[in-house]
Amino acid sequence: MGLLTNILLAPFLGHVWGTQWTLEKIDRVVREELTDDTPIKEDLMALQLALEMGEIDDAEYVRREAQIMERLREVREWRERFGMSTAGGPVRVAGGEEEG
Amino acid sequence: MSEMDSSNRRASSSPGANSAGGKYVYCIIRLDRTRDFGEIGIGGGARVYTVNHDDLAAVVSDTPIVIYDPTRENVLAHEFVNETVMREFTLIPMSFGTVFRSEKDVAALLKSTYQAFTDVLEKMQDKIEFGLKILWDRDKVVASIERDNDEIRRLKDEITRNAASSTYFARMQLGRLVEAAMEEASNRYVAHVHDQLKDVSVASRSNKVIGDRMILNAAFLVERKDEKSFDEKVKDISLKFEDLLTFKYTGPWPPYNFVNIKLKLEKAT
Repeated sequence: MGLLTNILLAPFLGHVWGTQWTLEKIDRVVREELTDDTPIKEDLMALQLALEMGEIDDAEYVRREAQIMERLREVREWRERFGMSTAGGPVRVAGGEEEG
Repeated sequence: MSEMDSSNRRASSSPGANSAGGKYVYCIIRLDRTRDFGEIGIGGGARVYTVNHDDLAAVVSDTPIVIYDPTRENVLAHEFVNETVMREFTLIPMSFGTVFRSEKDVAALLKSTYQAFTDVLEKMQDKIEFGLKILWDRDKVVASIERDNDEIRRLKDEITRNAASSTYFARMQLGRLVEAAMEEASNRYVAHVHDQLKDVSVASRSNKVIGDRMILNAAFLVERKDEKSFDEKVKDISLKFEDLLTFKYTGPWPPYNFVNIKLKLEKAT
């Protein structure tokens, strides 16, 4: 750890470098849980199905969708902190500093 | 988690705040001139138009550089554009929420992936996707199994006749038999559906089922010319099983489940 890690992870960790030593203490399992959006996406699909099947009304859908979006954002933020890939946000062709 | 509540937290959900010249990409089509699809884009009706490279075009709208949450509103906007484009073109759908920083970056994508896009567009020419979800009513299926399966019926009668003396073991055994019969029934329904739709579709893909009532969550790739026959087949099957099964039939969709181009994209800083 130290300078080299700092340089290697700089683009991902950025300003959170200062808290890195605490993050390292986080158990691997916890980390996986924090960064896994699969169950959240499943919840979203189940919610859509419930609406389609007429089991919940529109207001209920909107309320629960907001909660799911909040959870998705949290996972996204954790993934960014851990330097993992995230869906969404601006992208470009990899390795392509395409000069016009 | 205190640091997560920093001020940029909301930026992801409020398009319109910083309006740098980003491009939201909906799909790729074959077209050698520009085209305007009207004000139907994500984020409240942005103008949808093409960015062209050679004979390929990316269908885009202007967007601030934000992360779009997959809310129903946003997803529907994305899908609506693709549906509109699909009326006239064969298309390769992009993942929901794909944003590039500039027109130049979009053109770079078309240029660098030109061959793969061209090949897939050729393969997908005049093909559309349909979604089919099948849910069952567990109680009714159990009832029909108890009616039709001799072994289960006998065991159940025995347990009810000797309610007091029937053993825990007999009940367990009944439960296991019913469970196995249900799995078999589910497999049989699914196989039947696939078999019936085989001749009117080009390919199918089964996705993970959602919840405990769903037994099939599939996508079918269908030739446009076979759309009617596919439609009729689905209606036939759903009529045949209407007492036990609920069919959720959607489409036509762009071939979301049948295009798998791994785009080499990275985060734009």
